[in-house]
Amino acid sequence: MTDEMWINMGPQHPFNHGLWNLRVKLKGETITAAEPIIGYLHRGWEKMVENRAYPQIVPLADRLCYGSSLSWNHLYCLTAERLFGVEAPDRAKYIRVAALEMQRITSHLTWLMAVGTDLGSYTIMTWSIRERELFLDLLCKLSGARMTYNYCRIGGVRNDLPENYERDVNRTLDEFDRRLRDLEALMDENEPFLMRTLGIGKMDGRTAMNLGLTGPILRASGVDMDLRKLDPYEAYADMKFEVCTHTDGDVYARYRVRMDEMRESMKIIRQALAEAPAGPVRVKVPRCPPKGNVVCRVEDPRGESLMYMVSDGTERPYRLKVRSPNFVNLSASPPMLVGFKISDVPAIMGVMDMCIGETDR
Amino acid sequence: MRIEERTYTKADHLRPTGYVLKSLIVTFKGLVRATKNRPCTVLYPWERLVYPDNYRGRPGIVLERCIGCARCARDCPNRCIEMVEVELPAGGKAKRPQVNVGRCMMCGNCAETCPVNAMIVTPEFELCSYSRADLIFDPVKLQYPHKPGYEVNYEFALLSEMKKGGEVRTYAKNDPNVHDNVVLDAPKCISCSRCAKTCPAGAIEMAETGELNPKTKKPIKRPKFDTTKCVVCEQCIEVCPKSALSIKEVL
Repeated sequence: MTDEMWINMGPQHPFNHGLWNLRVKLKGETITAAEPIIGYLHRGWEKMVENRAYPQIVPLADRLCYGSSLSWNHLYCLTAERLFGVEAPDRAKYIRVAALEMQRITSHLTWLMAVGTDLGSYTIMTWSIRERELFLDLLCKLSGARMTYNYCRIGGVRNDLPENYERDVNRTLDEFDRRLRDLEALMDENEPFLMRTLGIGKMDGRTAMNLGLTGPILRASGVDMDLRKLDPYEAYADMKFEVCTHTDGDVYARYRVRMDEMRESMKIIRQALAEAPAGPVRVKVPRCPPKGNVVCRVEDPRGESLMYMVSDGTERPYRLKVRSPNFVNLSASPPMLVGFKISDVPAIMGVMDMCIGETDR
Repeated sequence: MRIEERTYTKADHLRPTGYVLKSLIVTFKGLVRATKNRPCTVLYPWERLVYPDNYRGRPGIVLERCIGCARCARDCPNRCIEMVEVELPAGGKAKRPQVNVGRCMMCGNCAETCPVNAMIVTPEFELCSYSRADLIFDPVKLQYPHKPGYEVNYEFALLSEMKKGGEVRTYAKNDPNVHDNVVLDAPKCISCSRCAKTCPAGAIEMAETGELNPKTKKPIKRPKFDTTKCVVCEQCIEVCPKSALSIKEVL
């Protein structure tokens, strides 16, 4: 006979990566209600960029998420390009696709690291961080920084590929293919990991869609929604790849979808670098866009991210709204958590790939 | 992609081979590989990884090249660059950038925007300090030994040529043939010659137009722009008291 009680997991708690608070209502050990509380990292990003000229916002867009900065950087540049009415040159589009997919792999490896520590396997963390270093080195060579790349520009990319880049990337991918198999062995042959993930945090496709979930979490519930296929941007229309889905809708399925996505990303990188046409990588854009507004959405590693930009014809945006995939995914966490034990919280929230930088903005 | 379905029963979980041995084998494989491929780590303060030349640490400056156009100060997203007066080795004073590295986010935009490649990106990233005053790098402290890879160069194409199709020409950063131009709205000009005094590149010359001032009967002088010298720093536009100057973009 126990009373129900609220427990604050956070703002400082080993399981939450970033600064946020998860309040859970417990009956014994079973969760009966949950409530995520965010806002500890609110920096006023949307207001801040209203005081910056369009090219100055590019490095700031990096800071939305430190784990996948290039995808935010790219989303901002793509939105601004549509607002300016210009289009990036073909070569820039292919380079962007290759860089974005490398970013997707690093983001998924960061997520794997977080899941490893959450579920008590230190080896998974060290191994995936080591593998991530391969891609950070490649991106560093490309853009000059390890995490905040500042690589995309409005109207193309900052610089062309460095010398012998395609060779280096292909070698790294061959090596990573082998190491990814090791990582999978570490997880899939690990009975405690399977016991903590199989059948936990179940959510069917219909509920997931109604809650507005996107990205790998939605795909793990059997909905094959991927904006790279449904609404192709950049050069994704020319790429041959499959959308990874899984039918179970539990934590293990979400883990599998992300691991398979890394494989698909590797395919896309090879194609993009092999098929990239010659030509310029950057066009000069005017300083002030025409009046108007534009919406642009892309497939972030975490889901569908969207930017809405309003221009009043000056050199600064009038309004820039960001739709972060994690913000929506986090709001859908209570239905996933209810009914499971408190010890399942790290597994359920861990595979969500929390990033507070983009959630709070 | 459909992943092969795997089923696990409770008995499978708890069998010692599954629970203990399989995990141990995976770990043992990793142990053997890590031992064979020693060393896996770097003894950091004594050993260092090699970074590519374009690695973006703190910004640096080559003072001999700088002309004090303040484009870096204008384009910095964090507004951490301020123009301060320094004494030149040749005598006289001029404005040169001072960077508050504590606020800098190492985006490299200042080096990218610099028309004479005086601002460079340096591979220096160990910038810890006990006081915030130490993080304000004045132009002398900001200097860094120069290497060609530290400059940020890019090539761009023009939108009008892209639309035409065919072979597209690319231009280097700040190519004088295609960069933006400053244009004068002549009726507004009061011939104060402030633009010519401000211009860091010496691209503005006060030239006689041939007309005479009807009151004083003296020749009227108007600024004349030398586009090959101009670096589009827009200081003349800011300083103009009558807003007679504006930018005409080349697209």
